[in-house]
Amino acid sequence: MTQLPYAIDAETPLSPSELAVLRAQYEKEGEMVGVQTKFNYAWGLVKSNVRTEQHLGVMLLSEIFRTSPERRRECLYYLALGNYKLGNYGEARRYNDLLLEKEPANLQSSNLRVLIDDKVAKEGLMGVAIVSGVAVAAGIIGGVLLRNLGRKR
Amino acid sequence: MADPGQKDDFPDLSSFDDDVSVISTKGLEAFGRKVTSTASHLIGPITDPTSNPRYASAMSEVSRQLRKPALQRGVFAMARTTPTDLVRSRLSTTEIHSRALAYVPDELLRQIPEGDHSYSLFQGFQASFPEFTDDGSGKSKKHRRRVSRGRRLLEERPTTPDGTPESVMRIKQEKTNMMHSLEMLGIRKNMTSAEIREIDAKLENLVGMRKILLERLANLEKDEALLEHDIIDVESRLEEAQDMVAEAESVALQTPNKSEDASGDESAPGFMSQSIYDKLPGAAGSGTSTPSSKRKPRSIRKKSAPILHEHFKPGSMIRSMRAHPDSITALDFDAPFGLMVTSAIDDSVRVWDLNAGRCIGLLDGHTASVRALQVEDNFLATGSADATIRLWDLSKAHYDPQGSGFGKDEEEDDDGIAFENPDDLPVDPPAGSMSDCPLFTLQAHLDEITALHFRGNVLVSGSADKTLRQWDLEKGRCVQTLDVMWAAAQATALSSGGDTWRQTNRPSDASADFVGALQVFESALACGTADGMVRLWDLRSGQVHRSLVGHTGPVTCLQFDDVHLVTGSLDRSIRIWDLRTGSIYDAYAYDNPITSMMFDQRRIVSAAGEDVVKVYDKVEGRHWDCGAGISEADEGKSPAIVERVRIRDGYMVEGRRDGIVGVWTC
Repeated sequence: MTQLPYAIDAETPLSPSELAVLRAQYEKEGEMVGVQTKFNYAWGLVKSNVRTEQHLGVMLLSEIFRTSPERRRECLYYLALGNYKLGNYGEARRYNDLLLEKEPANLQSSNLRVLIDDKVAKEGLMGVAIVSGVAVAAGIIGGVLLRNLGRKR
Repeated sequence: MADPGQKDDFPDLSSFDDDVSVISTKGLEAFGRKVTSTASHLIGPITDPTSNPRYASAMSEVSRQLRKPALQRGVFAMARTTPTDLVRSRLSTTEIHSRALAYVPDELLRQIPEGDHSYSLFQGFQASFPEFTDDGSGKSKKHRRRVSRGRRLLEERPTTPDGTPESVMRIKQEKTNMMHSLEMLGIRKNMTSAEIREIDAKLENLVGMRKILLERLANLEKDEALLEHDIIDVESRLEEAQDMVAEAESVALQTPNKSEDASGDESAPGFMSQSIYDKLPGAAGSGTSTPSSKRKPRSIRKKSAPILHEHFKPGSMIRSMRAHPDSITALDFDAPFGLMVTSAIDDSVRVWDLNAGRCIGLLDGHTASVRALQVEDNFLATGSADATIRLWDLSKAHYDPQGSGFGKDEEEDDDGIAFENPDDLPVDPPAGSMSDCPLFTLQAHLDEITALHFRGNVLVSGSADKTLRQWDLEKGRCVQTLDVMWAAAQATALSSGGDTWRQTNRPSDASADFVGALQVFESALACGTADGMVRLWDLRSGQVHRSLVGHTGPVTCLQFDDVHLVTGSLDRSIRIWDLRTGSIYDAYAYDNPITSMMFDQRRIVSAAGEDVVKVYDKVEGRHWDCGAGISEADEGKSPAIVERVRIRDGYMVEGRRDGIVGVWTC
C-alpha cells in the first residue's frame, strides 16, 4: 500500500466543474457503477469544502467498503480521512487505528493519526481555554462584586 | 539553505520540536513552503518524480507538526475525539443520519482481506483524471501537457542548443515526465482490465441467475401443467355431477315428494355437488363404464401458453425422439408442448405428448401410409395413400398426461400404464388408447391423397387423381370437386394461354405429387401443383381467379397469411408472393429441393434436403441453420436428412428420413 494520498491532498477541493465531471460519470454508469468511478466521485466529494458533499463522499466510501471486500483495506484509509475532514475524529481514529494495526509502516496512515491527535488536542485546548476563560472571567467579576460588596460594608 | 542535502536533515527536525516551537508559526510555515518549492524545483528533475508530492506534503506536515507543541498534544492524547464532535454526534439529526448511513459495522471491519490489486483506487483516480490531481504548480501541468503532445516536444528540443547542462536537464525532466505518463498509462490499462474482469464476473453472475430463473420457469410450467390437468379433471367431474343433478331433478319432478333433496343439490356450490356426486351410488361406475359416451369431449387444449422455449437460445434442442422406424412422411402439432401427430412410410400414425415426449397412442385405420395430416384444436385429419381421409378427435384419447390416480381409474385397460418412466423410448402406448378417436372417413378420391387442409368446417384435399375436393366436416360429405386440369384448360380457353398446364422439364416431376400443397381460408383456396403453378381458387364459384407463375419445379409446400403467400418447390426456391398484387415479394433458394416449409410470425423454416432445417429470420433478414446437423457434426455422426418441418411460435418440430423427430427452439 504505497500509493495513498496524504491528508493534505484531501484539503484541496476540486473546482465545481471538475466535480461535475466526476458526478456525470458516476450518474452515467447508473446502478452498475464500477468501483473506480464510484471512488472517483467519492474522493472528489471528500476533497470538497462543503459539508454535505463530504457526507455524501463518506457514504459512498462506506458503500465501496461494503460491496468490494478486496478494496476494504485501502478504503479504511479513505474512510478515516473523510471522517477526519468531517471532524468525526472518533470514527476517523477507529478506521485509522485499524489500518495501522494491519500496516504499521503505512506512512500516510501514521501521518493521519498525528493529524487527528493534533486536531483533538487543539480543539480540546480551545475548549479548556474557553472554560478556563469563562472561569477566570467569572472569578474576576465575582471578585469585583465581592470587593464592591466589601467596600460598601 | 536549499541544497539537496536538506532532505537528509528533515527527519531530525521533529526532534527540535520544543526549541523550534518558540519561532512563530507563520515563519515556519513559510520556511516549510520555501523548502518544498525549492527542493522540488531543484531535486525534482533528478529524483524520482513520485517522491515529489510525498516530499512536499511531508514537509508541510513537518511544518504543521512544528506548530503544535508536544506538550499540548500529550495533555489531550487520551481524548478520543473533540467536544464539538461529541456534541454533533449526539445532537444534530442530519449528522446522526449520515453517520448511520456511513457507519461500517465491526464485523465488516474484521473481514478485511489482503488487497491484491496492482494499483490503488487513488492511483486509479489520478490516472483517470490527471488534471485534477496536479500538485497545484503550473509547472508540472505545463509539462504534462507537453508530454501529451509528444510530437511538439521533439520539435521544441532544438530551440536550446544541445550539449549544455540546461538541455541535459531538460531532456532528463522530459524523460521523467514521460516515465510518469507511462506509469499512468500502465495504471489506466490495469484499471480497464480490472473493470472488464469485474463485468465478466457480473455477467457470469447474471448468467447464473438466468439459469436459475429458467429452472424456476420450467418448474412453474410443470406445476401449471399439473394444475391444468387437475382442473380438467375437476371440470369433467363437475359436468358429470351436474348431469347427475339434472337427472335427479327430472326424476324428482316426476316424484314430487323428493323435490326437496333435488333443490338442495341444485343450490349447493360446485364443491358440494361434486362431493355429492362422489357419494352417489353407481356414479363412479357409470363414469368409468361409459367414459366417452356420456362425457363431452374433454379438452386437452391448454389453458395457458407455455413460454419456456422462448427463453432458450435459438437453435437449441428441446427433445429428440425416435418416432418411427421409417422415414417420416407427415407431421403436425397443435401448440408448443402440445400434441403431435406423426406418420411414416410404415403406414402407422402416432400421437405424441410433446410435453412429456412420449407416445400417447397409435391411430389405426389407414391401409396405406399417410401422406398429409393436420392437427387443429384436438381434431386431426389424415390423408392417406389409400385414397381416404380420416378425421379423428384426439380429445377422446385415453391418455393421462401425468399418470395420476384419476387417470388410471379412467383407463379401461390397465395394461398400458408403462409410461411412468419417460426415459425408455419408445414406450409402447396402451393398445386401444385411441379407440374412441376416429370420427369418420371421407371416401371419394380415386387416388392417393397428397395434400389436405382444413379450417373450421371446411376441409379441402388434393389427390393424385388430379382433383381437389371440398368437404363439409359437419355433414361429412364432399361438397365440391375441383378438376385442376379442367380449370387449367378453361383458363387457356378464356384468356389467351396465360394459364395452362405447363409441362416442366424436370426429371423429378415423375415422383412429385400432383397436388403438392393446399391451404384454405373461408372461400379462398390456394393450391400448388406439380407444374410449378400456384392457383388461387374461389370456392364459391369453383373457379381459379388467379395463377401465380414462377416456380420451375413442382410446388411441394405452401402457406399464406393475410398479406403473403409463401411457396416452396422442388426447384430449390422459396418464393414469397404478395397476395394483393400477385407479384413476387421476395425469393431465395437453397442447394436442394424444398420438401417442406412453414412460417410463423418471425421465421420461415424449410426442409431442403439437408440434415439441418433452414431458417430464414424475416425480422432480421438472416439465414441460419437449425438442427441436428450442427451439433452432431462435431461428434462425427451424420443425422438423416430432414424431410418434414413444422413451426409454431418459435417451437419447431422436424421429422427425418430415419424416423427421428427433433424438437427445437427457433
